[in-house]
Amino acid sequence: MILKMKFDLLKRLAYVLLAVLLPLLSFGDDNTQALFEKGNAYYTKGQYQQAVGAYQQVINSGYQSIPLYYNMGNAEYKLGEIPSSLLYYEKAHKLSPADEDINVNIHFANLKTTDKIDEMPEFFLNRWWHGFILSFSVNALAIWSVLLVLVGSGLLVLYFFTNSVAIKKLSFYSSLTSFFIGLVIIAIAGSQVSYFDGHKQAIIFSGIVNVKSGPVDQPNTLFVLHEGTKVNVLDKANGWMRIKLANGNEGWLKISDVKEI
Amino acid sequence: MLAQNIKFTASVSKNEVATGEQFEVSFSVNGNGDRFTPPDLNGFQVAGGPNQSTSMEMINGATTVNASVSYILVAVKEGDFTIGPASIIVNGHKYTTNPIKMKVVKGKPVPQNRAQQQQNGPDNNLNVAGATDLSKSLFLRTVLDKDNVYQGQQLTLTYRLYTRIGIVQTQVTKMPDLTGFWNEDVKTTPQAVAQWKVEVYNGVKYNVADVKQIILFPEHAGNITIDPFSMDFVVRLQTPARNIMDQVFGGGGYEDKKYTAKSAPVVVHVKQLPEAGKPDGFVGAVGNFAIQSTIDKTELKTNEALNYKIKVTGSGNIKLLKDLNVNFPVDFEKYDPKVVDSIKEQVTGVSGTRFYNYLLIPRHAGDYKIDPLKFSYFNPNTGKYVSLETKPFDVKVAKGVAETNVTSLADKQDVKLLDKDIRYIKTGDAGLFKEGNRFFGSVSYYLLLLLGPFLCLGAYVYRGQNAKYNSDIVKVKNRRAAKIAAKRLANAHQQLLAKNTAAFYEAIFRGIYGYLGDKLNISYADLNREIIASALQKKGIDLPLITRLEDTIDLCEMARYAPVTHISEQEVYNKAKGIINDIENEI
Repeated sequence: MILKMKFDLLKRLAYVLLAVLLPLLSFGDDNTQALFEKGNAYYTKGQYQQAVGAYQQVINSGYQSIPLYYNMGNAEYKLGEIPSSLLYYEKAHKLSPADEDINVNIHFANLKTTDKIDEMPEFFLNRWWHGFILSFSVNALAIWSVLLVLVGSGLLVLYFFTNSVAIKKLSFYSSLTSFFIGLVIIAIAGSQVSYFDGHKQAIIFSGIVNVKSGPVDQPNTLFVLHEGTKVNVLDKANGWMRIKLANGNEGWLKISDVKEI
Repeated sequence: MLAQNIKFTASVSKNEVATGEQFEVSFSVNGNGDRFTPPDLNGFQVAGGPNQSTSMEMINGATTVNASVSYILVAVKEGDFTIGPASIIVNGHKYTTNPIKMKVVKGKPVPQNRAQQQQNGPDNNLNVAGATDLSKSLFLRTVLDKDNVYQGQQLTLTYRLYTRIGIVQTQVTKMPDLTGFWNEDVKTTPQAVAQWKVEVYNGVKYNVADVKQIILFPEHAGNITIDPFSMDFVVRLQTPARNIMDQVFGGGGYEDKKYTAKSAPVVVHVKQLPEAGKPDGFVGAVGNFAIQSTIDKTELKTNEALNYKIKVTGSGNIKLLKDLNVNFPVDFEKYDPKVVDSIKEQVTGVSGTRFYNYLLIPRHAGDYKIDPLKFSYFNPNTGKYVSLETKPFDVKVAKGVAETNVTSLADKQDVKLLDKDIRYIKTGDAGLFKEGNRFFGSVSYYLLLLLGPFLCLGAYVYRGQNAKYNSDIVKVKNRRAAKIAAKRLANAHQQLLAKNTAAFYEAIFRGIYGYLGDKLNISYADLNREIIASALQKKGIDLPLITRLEDTIDLCEMARYAPVTHISEQEVYNKAKGIINDIENEI
């Protein structure tokens, strides 16, 4: 019967939904969460070496998260491993660009690095735009976009079936609005992803790095960088990496001297 | 002035002396004497004198004069001797003293080269004596309290001035630079510096003054020579007396003369400290020391200050002590000690107290022990090393209120956040997810995103179909017939359970009629058995079913007016249900 068929279709749709949503909700297993908490306990006791070990195990098992990277950065900072701490802070920053804790700690860790690079001032519209697109994490934006599109659809369905003219009017316009906001959010998330994909960065891990003018070992050095400095990655070739500093200087250095964020 | 008042007497400081001992013999007259004849002093050596003094008193216009001549004598041989009479003429009368008997017993040999007696206060009489050889009556000496010492052992150096003549003016022209020594000036009061004493040197009495005293600490082993020091003097020399009166009563003239005196160089023999038995923690202390340690509290909280004080008392090279090797717990933040000295430089040597004040800040809570401090020094008197140990302290550190971790920001400038630490870790749910599973852009994301539009599309299509479906009333009635019939039959079943016979048959009847009306599209008012039968036949329903329907309808109509007995109500219900089902299946 048709009615029954309709019901089956709905049921199937629900199953598909569940199948799609469930993996999103499975935030790691209990084991890794316990390991993460163990690391936190070590950190609280001041045993930073052990804390780093525990966090590293979680990372090695293929998991990532904002608190994990952030805490790892903190523990490395306390051990005085500034390049490592910056690497993990930057990873956390990438996942959650607007997190104030992360940004404050990046500031602190940067104070302990040797190189002081004056950033080239960005055009104010660019700066606003970047601040805007980086004000929420990609995941949050993605979830919001899905929710808004679903709400918009729901309102549209209501518009189709309701008999009251008032409700019809209201649902139609609110549905349009939520569809529009949802699309804007998708656009923001997309720009953020392309921003991070286009802005590959790396942290210098070697104590001192001679930056050359080309991807070959040559005697003359353009400039010298020290550990902990963040560089923008432009290109990679034959074990060499073309980098650009925040002040606009460019050069080549060996990939083994840096770790990509 | 009456002659009988004149007295001329002789006296000795003692009658019985040992050989080598000094004594004094003096002759005094209470008047203006003349032509003094010294006595026979055979058997004695004159160590000093004749020293003359004259004093004059005027009381109510009466003048009294006292004059005396004295000799310092040293007994040379033992036995009985007599100091013969001396004579003097006063106012034309000759006066003679009585001889004095002296007994000399065996004593020390007569000193030749040593200072023998010291007497406090200057003897002004010495100055009067005329001296022709200045180098014998005015010279400088560098005096050491010991000339054979260990490295680091203190010795006292004295620059001493010896004089028998009047000095008008002095000036130090050269002080040796004392290379090879760490030196400390003896701090004395200004009066003490200028103090004159009387000292007998090489059997001769001198007025002596210490120009300067210095405490020396030899810095290396070997023979170290102390260079001479020199002084310029202006001395007042007495011109030779023209007559006896001048000689006796200090007549005659004076002559000022410049003279430069220079001391002889002296050598100090410095011995190396013995290697044998040298303790591990030896830091070069030589002398005699005591050590004591104190602590201002034994219970405190983290980040509070703790004062650990070490007091080193004694004499020796206390100022040259290096920092002590104190072993503090590693967790303690230790600052360089504040060193306070309370040290006196005296003729006997440098002595006093040195305080080392260590400021400690425990950074972590716990029970700590401050190990005893080992201190060792070399005692030059015994020639041995001595090791001392302070007492240990137990310190309990409780956790303080706030644990501040000050970051070092010394490398860079223009930073204001000096008192801040990194933010604390994030606790709670880690929100872990597998790497590479970014939700945005993943398949599930797009599926979820498309879900909404798909639902809308589905709803739109459904609405369209539904409208079309419901547009034909006959078909809608036809479709709904079974549903309505089922509802009515359910009502009937309720009446059946309630044993409401009349209502039950009524419900069955209406159920069947209603169903057939909807199904066959005949108005309720036009329904009767014949029309139903013919309509059903037209639809191709077989006869037995129609007959069964007619029977049931008859039964229901009959039951409305008379009780039915040959068939149970349950059977009627089942029958009616069966008929509707059959018709539904056939049409």
